[in-house]
Amino acid sequence: MSTQAVHVDLEQPPRRKAKFIRTVKKYWMFYLMMLPALLVLLLNNYIPMFGIIIAFKNINYTDGILGSPWSGFSNFKYLFMTSDSWVITRNTLLYNSGFIILNLIFPLAFAIMLNEIKNRFLAKMHQTVMFLPYFLSMIVISYLTYAFLSDTNGFFNKTLLPMLNIDPVNWYFTKEVWPYILSMVNTWKSMGYYTVIYMAAIIGIDEEYYEAATIDGASKFKQIFTITIPLLTPIITIMTLLQIGRIFNADFGLFFQVPRESGVLFPVTNVIDTYVYRTFITVGDIGLSSAAGLIQSVVGFTLVFLSNWIVRRIDSDNALF
Amino acid sequence: MRKNKRASYVAAIILTIALIVTACGGNNTKNTGENTSNNKEQTSTNTESKQNNNTEVVTDSELKPYKLSIVYPGPPQKDEALIEEELNKLLTERINATIDLMPIDWGSWDEKVNLMIASREEVDIIFTAQWNGHAMNVGKGAFLELNDLIEQYGQGVLDSQDPAFLEGAKINGKNYGVPTTKELAASGGVVYRKDITDELGIDMTEIKTIEDLDAVYAKVKEAHPELTPLYISSTDNTFNSHFFGNYDFLGDATIPGAIFKDGNDTTVVPIETTDRWLETTRLTHEFFKKGYINADAATSQVSSADAWKAGIVFSAIESLKPGKDEEVAAAAGLSGKLGQIELTNKTIATSETAGSMLGISSTSQDPERAMMFINLLHTDKEVNNLINFGIKDVHYTLNGEIMSKTDRTGDYSPGHAWMFGNQFLNYLWDTEDPEKWEKFKEFNTGAIKSPALGFVFDSEPVKNEVGALANVIKQYQVAIDRGVVNVDDVLDEYIAALKAAGLDTVIAEKQTQFDAFLAGQ
Amino acid sequence: MSAETEKAIHISNPKNRLPKLATFGIHTMFTIYSLLCIIPLILVIMVSISDETAIVRSGYSFWPSEFSLDAYQFLFKDATAIVRAYGISIAVTLIGTITSMIIIALYAYPISRRDFPHAKFFTFFVFFTMLFNGGLVPWYLVYVQLLDLKNTMLALIVPLLVAAFFVLITRTFFQTTIPQAILESANMDGAGELTIFFKIVLPLSLPVLATVALFQTLTYWNDWFLSLVFITKEANISIQYLMYKTMLNIQYLANNSTAAAAIRAAGGEFKFPSESVRMAMVIVGIGPIVFAYPFFQKYFVKGLTVGAVKG
Repeated sequence: MSTQAVHVDLEQPPRRKAKFIRTVKKYWMFYLMMLPALLVLLLNNYIPMFGIIIAFKNINYTDGILGSPWSGFSNFKYLFMTSDSWVITRNTLLYNSGFIILNLIFPLAFAIMLNEIKNRFLAKMHQTVMFLPYFLSMIVISYLTYAFLSDTNGFFNKTLLPMLNIDPVNWYFTKEVWPYILSMVNTWKSMGYYTVIYMAAIIGIDEEYYEAATIDGASKFKQIFTITIPLLTPIITIMTLLQIGRIFNADFGLFFQVPRESGVLFPVTNVIDTYVYRTFITVGDIGLSSAAGLIQSVVGFTLVFLSNWIVRRIDSDNALF
Repeated sequence: MRKNKRASYVAAIILTIALIVTACGGNNTKNTGENTSNNKEQTSTNTESKQNNNTEVVTDSELKPYKLSIVYPGPPQKDEALIEEELNKLLTERINATIDLMPIDWGSWDEKVNLMIASREEVDIIFTAQWNGHAMNVGKGAFLELNDLIEQYGQGVLDSQDPAFLEGAKINGKNYGVPTTKELAASGGVVYRKDITDELGIDMTEIKTIEDLDAVYAKVKEAHPELTPLYISSTDNTFNSHFFGNYDFLGDATIPGAIFKDGNDTTVVPIETTDRWLETTRLTHEFFKKGYINADAATSQVSSADAWKAGIVFSAIESLKPGKDEEVAAAAGLSGKLGQIELTNKTIATSETAGSMLGISSTSQDPERAMMFINLLHTDKEVNNLINFGIKDVHYTLNGEIMSKTDRTGDYSPGHAWMFGNQFLNYLWDTEDPEKWEKFKEFNTGAIKSPALGFVFDSEPVKNEVGALANVIKQYQVAIDRGVVNVDDVLDEYIAALKAAGLDTVIAEKQTQFDAFLAGQ
Repeated sequence: MSAETEKAIHISNPKNRLPKLATFGIHTMFTIYSLLCIIPLILVIMVSISDETAIVRSGYSFWPSEFSLDAYQFLFKDATAIVRAYGISIAVTLIGTITSMIIIALYAYPISRRDFPHAKFFTFFVFFTMLFNGGLVPWYLVYVQLLDLKNTMLALIVPLLVAAFFVLITRTFFQTTIPQAILESANMDGAGELTIFFKIVLPLSLPVLATVALFQTLTYWNDWFLSLVFITKEANISIQYLMYKTMLNIQYLANNSTAAAAIRAAGGEFKFPSESVRMAMVIVGIGPIVFAYPFFQKYFVKGLTVGAVKG
């Protein structure tokens, strides 16, 4: 695993150009293999990226994107104007940090445990069922949460709480509970998804490691911590890094649909994406949303760079780039 | 280190390529932009030459065949192709044109139209309305200025329409859309279960204000606990809706700052500081506390229309016009059981005059023809009813001016008569009041004109503030308007939040623009 | 064969088993969690066969007071549209998933090779697209003006072909599960990179390929946005969009109350399907894909890869 790091570059740099050519000559097949994806990335992602300038423009359709007048940083102003700026930044960061942790611990634990279920049929069934929530769109999930939490007809207020002799709760007006509700919904929805990824990784582990450990008399529990998790570190690292890159981008559906736009909950449900969306429906200016998107990207980029640097210091094999 | 440098070389190369390609793409867009502006010049010279030959009547033979495309919101219909075919026959005869109907679902309307406009797609006619970002799209150059075209090819519009419509749909003194001829005034009131009031012996003609409703609701709640006396969902109208409070928001009702439609004062104020708003809001909260309003008003997405259907509603707030009760009743299967009662003055404001328009896209290749078509929608009964209701004896049967349903009515019932031309040309369904259009015309007279009729606020200079305000308003307004929270508990906090988000700047900008408009009058 | 090997391992090593109590605990926990996942879906099904009036009166319920199949009858009144949309979705999903799996693997392999000097750059090249984008309008312009793909099936396939997230996941899998020694010895034997890739790397990577294929299948099947943006002809939309657009209509009016009020005041009418129909739409939309899941599952059975390595 760690031996491959010894490679190339022992020779001195006579001429970079020559070296470059030599690399290309040696690995020409690799370039060919990458070509289809490179083309798609170029068309689908890199060419449209010129649109980033929209954030600095006052867009006018007759002049086109390039012809529209520049507006400096004026499209960014609304993001920093009020105390909401602090609220949405805090919410976005806290929720996403929480989600990164939850999406690591639970799916990883589930994948390890699923792997221990020796009854194939049950294991398959659990895995299939766990995946079901992923098929539901956030709008449908918002209907479902409403079925549980609605003031008048919700299961909690109509059936469960009376049974326990508790007074009905005005869920959509009680902001204290929402960080938990949203975290639960998010984990519930994505559990199956992440579990599959970790499952695939665990399956890739060579059985011989475990055999050897068993012979050494290591308990199952010990095997998990000394074999499974260390061998999963690369995939755990990459998943975490990728999520850190999007730490400033909140799951719009989750924060917009599920709390049903209940204003009282805004202090705990308003995130950057919902804030920008509300602005956009009123103002309709793509410059404003572009500006927000650019900030999200830059912050995500910076954080990934930092995290990646840290990872590289620890074990360069696990770094993203 | 070395490797990084090499990588950066490659990055630079690729970036250059990307830039070159981008620049080409950019040039393309620019070129198309130039092309269209060239076209515009050409067409305007065409217009001039035609103006020179003004004495000559434009006859069909002079016109080259042209395919008009018309984009409007609404669910696509199964028999759309049939209607196009029939329309083509009529239009070829009248203006030598054929037509491409391009309905877009409401759910994707904003997105698709924005992309269409941004990509300079060549279409001719686009539905637009003051509440649907008309002023913004005009500002971005999406629509052609129409005054000359209307003069020349839209005489039918001028002849058949109350001038208040075009007057009230102007932006900076110019028209960029032709309003639909329909009801001009609006008033606020409630639609209620007439069968219940009859049963309980309540005389609704006595009800003049919101306060008067209290006694009615008390009786209904007692006698019919299964009914919600006043049903409001999170998406329904409230007593604070602009038509109810007669607030003229000078354009988009989601941007704070209004004047009263039924007053003379031209000072722009945030409605949250007016007595009218505060009284109404307190009253609504009273109603809520007394259990007249459904407890889930702030979060329910079951609209009053669906709630009517389920038979759990005694009354709902509506913007009224003649026959609104029957309109609601027909949709809910409660025909004959509903009544309506007006609780406010009738007023005319830009929200009504510019509430439904057809604009001509700045990418249209033949704006004259587009205007001719709009003119036909305003004057030609055959064309108008065909596009709205389908083919006679297929989608409806006609008896005089009265339509009856057939088995195939469902294959073409777009429900968009309010978008196209002159509604007074529409045939009426046999379930409707045969006097409907007479009553509409009557309703249109004697309404109070808002001092701001014809003015639309341009939010561009304060878009950052407007954007921040949108969030504050969403946070407080829904619950306050439905009486779910006590306004006196949160008002200070609400106003402080509004001010922090730039309320004063927006109000001042609105006032400045409005004053300039008034000075120009 | 592989299952037997596995069995053999466990029989020969009775220690390599969890204590009974722990097994019981795991089973109980999974059963509870599975219920948590399946109950909401049952609710969706139940609502779809409920009587509409009952829903508005008393909300959703697991056992409707009145059953009714009206919702499905309403949906399948226009069965041709549904069948056609299914056809498009199936075609797009099949072509899209296979193509994208190949393209992703082809890209992920070179950047997984530590001896390839430009690996880091190309990793970064794909990662960058996860973070930065130019927004909807420029992207739309590329597809409509540069490539002229409006109203084509390609427009439903191309944008989702390279999922950066899975490129990077796949790369990591290649790095961790493919023994470097095998690659080196193959290289010594003079095998070309392409041969190595197809003969050694791919067979060793079935779990990850299945993961990518599974998620890409879902992505393609669940996508409604591309239909919304690129397809103007009602006949060419995917099943998800056909089903989902009703929800979008409802959401539009729920989120634009001023617009809703204005439309209503102007005389526009909304003929929205009832809640039972909305739920029936969910079922029609996800039905087939739920059944596709077990198909991928066989690649997640432990032992398969072990057998492959040894064989």
